Amino acid sequence: MAEFDQPPLSQPEPQPTGFARGLSGAAVLAALALAAAAAPLMADGSALHRLDADPVAAALLDGRGSLSFALLAAVLGGALGIGWALLAGLAGTLVGKGAERRIVIAAQRMAGWPLALLVPLAGGLLGQVWLLALVTALTAAPAVAALAHAELSVLMRAEFLTAARAAALPEREVLRRHLIPNLMRPLLAAGTLALPRVLAAESFASLLGLGLPPTLGSWGASVGLAARLGDPVAFAPPALLLALALWAACAIADGVAAGVRKP
Amino acid sequence: MNHIAAKPAPVETEALTLMLGDRVLLDRASLRVERGQVLAVTGGAGSGKTALLGALAGRPPAGVDVAGGVRIDGHLLIAQGGRLAPRRPLALQVAEVVGHHLGLDLRGALRRMADGLDRMGVPPAARRFDLPPEQLPDSLRWACLFAMAAAVGPAVLLVDAPAAGLDPTVRLRLLHRLADWARADGVALILAGRPEDGVAGPADHVLALRRGRLLPPIPLRAGPLEPLEPPGTARLHARGVGMSYPLAPGPRGEARSLAVLHGIDLDLRTGETLVLLGETGSAKATLARSLLCLPPPTAGTVVWMGRDLMAAATPPAAGEEPNHGGLRRARRDLQPLFPDPAASFDPAMTVGTQLALVLENLRPDIAADRRDHRIDEALEEAGLRPEAALRWPAALTAAEAAHAGLARAILSEPRVLVADEPAAGLSAEERERFLDTLMAVRDRRRLSLILATERYGEGLRDAHRGIVMLAGRVVESADAGTLRTAPLHPYSRAMLAASLGGRPALEGDAPSAFGQPAGCPLRRRCPLAREFCAQAVPELEEVASGHHVACHYWDTPAEE
Ligand code: SF4
Repeated sequence: MAEFDQPPLSQPEPQPTGFARGLSGAAVLAALALAAAAAPLMADGSALHRLDADPVAAALLDGRGSLSFALLAAVLGGALGIGWALLAGLAGTLVGKGAERRIVIAAQRMAGWPLALLVPLAGGLLGQVWLLALVTALTAAPAVAALAHAELSVLMRAEFLTAARAAALPEREVLRRHLIPNLMRPLLAAGTLALPRVLAAESFASLLGLGLPPTLGSWGASVGLAARLGDPVAFAPPALLLALALWAACAIADGVAAGVRKP
Repeated sequence: MNHIAAKPAPVETEALTLMLGDRVLLDRASLRVERGQVLAVTGGAGSGKTALLGALAGRPPAGVDVAGGVRIDGHLLIAQGGRLAPRRPLALQVAEVVGHHLGLDLRGALRRMADGLDRMGVPPAARRFDLPPEQLPDSLRWACLFAMAAAVGPAVLLVDAPAAGLDPTVRLRLLHRLADWARADGVALILAGRPEDGVAGPADHVLALRRGRLLPPIPLRAGPLEPLEPPGTARLHARGVGMSYPLAPGPRGEARSLAVLHGIDLDLRTGETLVLLGETGSAKATLARSLLCLPPPTAGTVVWMGRDLMAAATPPAAGEEPNHGGLRRARRDLQPLFPDPAASFDPAMTVGTQLALVLENLRPDIAADRRDHRIDEALEEAGLRPEAALRWPAALTAAEAAHAGLARAILSEPRVLVADEPAAGLSAEERERFLDTLMAVRDRRRLSLILATERYGEGLRDAHRGIVMLAGRVVESADAGTLRTAPLHPYSRAMLAASLGGRPALEGDAPSAFGQPAGCPLRRRCPLAREFCAQAVPELEEVASGHHVACHYWDTPAEE
C-alpha cells in the first residue's frame, strides 16, 4: 500500500461562511443596545447616582455611552475610509496610476501604525466629544480604506465591465448601472471594519481615564475605575459586556466580509 | 507442454462494480493491464475515474461501494492535482516518500530522484530541490511528481488527471516521458483524465468510462459540420497592432514597459473563420481584445469597414465631442465572446435585463416592445430556452453561461464574432455542443469569426485560415488545411503533434513574458535552433502562396 500521504495541493480548506457568526454578532449587539436603552427603567430613576445603583444596571447605563459613541465614530470612520478609497480610485482615473498607488500605500502603511494611541491623547487634550469621535474615526479609516480599495480594484477589473463596454455603454452608464450597484455591498462590508476598531480604541482611552467625559459613561471608564478601587463586583459586569460587544462587532465585520466574498 | 503458469498481470479486475449510493459508476468491468502497458481511462467530470483509481488502489473514496475482485501488485497512486505539500522544500518530501518506500537516506533518495528527473527530461539547471513546490512552475511540479514515482519504482502506477492544466505541448511531452519510463521498466501505468486532458495520446489502450461501462472512445468530429463557404472581401484590417503595459519606473526613473504583442498584421474577410492558435503567453487573447479595442492597442491601427476603430474607441480629448455614433456602429458589428462567460454577466442583474440593456444601447432602432421578442429569439438560437432570461447569472451552469454569452453576442446582429477561448471551462461534451451551436450560428448568419484557442486540431477543423502565435508574434499563417496537415514552423508542428496525441518535439517550458530570450522566442526549446537564432528575431516570410513562416531554418532538417 503506497500513496503520497501529504495534504492535497489542489483542495483548499473549505472556507467557513462566517455568515452565521455575523448574524449572531448582530443579534448580540442589538440585544446589548436594547438593554442599554432600557437600563434607566431598571435603575429606578437613580441614573444620576450610577455608582450606587446595582452594578449590572450601572454597566448597562455605561453601554449607552460606549455604544452610541462607537456607532457615531464607526459611521464617521467607515465614511472616511470609503471616501479615501474612492478618492484613490478617482485619482487613478484622472491623474494616473502612480497617484492612486501612493494614496493606497499611505492607507496601508497607516493601517499598520498603532493609531489607537492617538485616542487617549486626543481625549486628554480635546474636551469635546465630537472632536474625540473624529479622531477615533480617523484611527479606523486607513484600514477601511485599504480594504475598500482592494474591493474596488477587484471590481474595476471585472469582466462584465468589459462586456458592458463591448455593448458601447458610455462610461457614465457603466458607472451607474454596473459599478455602483456592485460596489455597495463590498464598500459597506469594508465600512463595518471600523466598528470593532473604534469600540476598542474608545474603551482603551476610557480605561486610562482619557476617553469619554465621565458624564457620558463608558465601559472602559467603569472597568478602569473598578480596577483602581479594587472592586470585583463593579469590575465584572462592564468588563464582560465590553468583551461581548467587541466580540459581536468583530463577528459582524467578519460576517459581512464573508457574505461579500461568497461566489 | 509448458507447465510453468504464466505470471499474472500486475492489475486484474474481475467484474469490478462501483456504486455511489444507488448510482452505478462502474458495472462489472474486467480489466487487465500487463507489465509495461499503458492504459488511459477517459471520462467526463463525475464519471467515476477517481473512484476507479481509488478502488484499484484499495482506497475507494468515501461513499463508494466496491464489489467484485481486484488484484494489484505493489502500486503507487498520484492523486488529482498531485499531492505535494505546497510549502515544504521538495528535497524533504522526496526523501520522505522515496525513503519510506525504499528505506533510503536523504542522499540516496535524492540520487534516485535525480535519475528520475533525467528520465522526465528536466535539465539539471532547472532542478531546485531546495524550493517548496508552490514556487515551482506547474510543469516542473508534475515532472517532479513523475520523477518521484520513477524513483520509487512501483509495479503499478495509477495517475489521476496527470498534468491537467498545462499547455498541450508541455503536457504531452511529459506524458510521453512517463509512458516511456513505464514501458522501459515494465511498469503497468494507468492514466485517468478527462478526454481533453490528452491522456489518450501516449497510451497503448484507451477506454472511455461512459454510463458505467468501459468502452472504446468515440472519435471527435474531425471536419466541419457543413462544408465551409469561400469567404468574401476583407472588411477588418489590423496593421502593426502592438500592446505594451507600463511597468514601474526603472532605477534611474526611466519609463519602462512590457511589450506583449508585436506589430501584428491581419485581415478578416466576410464569412471567414480565422483561428488564432497559441498557448499560454502567446498573447492571442490580447490580440483578440485589441481587435475589439477593448482596450485599444498601444500601437498600430484597426480599421473596420473603412472606419478607424481606435480613434472611435479612445476617449476624446477635453473639449471634443465624443464620437458615440461611430463607436456604437462598430460595436454593433463586432461582438466578443469571453473566456469566462459567467464572469461576463453582472451578478446584480438578471440575464434578460442585461440583454435588454445591450439591445437598447446597440440597436436603438428596435422598438422597446419588440425587445423581449428579440431576446427570446437570440436565446433560442444560442441553444437556451427563453426562460433563461429570467435567471440570475449565479444560477447558470458554466455551459449555460457560455450559451447565454453567445445569445448576447448575436443580439445586435453583428457581422464579426471575436471569441477568446469561449468554451475553455466546459467539459468535452459541453464543448462540442457549444462549438456546434457557434458554428451553426455562424453559418446561418454568414458571420466572420475569430476564434482564439490553444487546441490546434479543434480550432482548425472549422476554420478557413489559421494563425499560430508565439510570445506575441505570428510564427506561421496559412489556410487551415495546410496547418492541419503540413505546418512548417517547429512550434506549429509541436502543437499539431500534441493535438494528435503524439510527442511534441519541444523541450522545456515556455519562457515567461519577463524572461524572453533574445532572438527567436522559441530557441531554448526548438529542435532546429542554431546559433544564429539567438541573434535575430525571424521575420515572417512567404514560403508559398498564402503561407507565411517566421523561422530561419524551417526548410533545414535538424542538426544531429
Ligand atoms: S528561428 Fe531558430 S529557434 Fe526559432 S523556430 Fe526557427 S530554428 Fe527554431
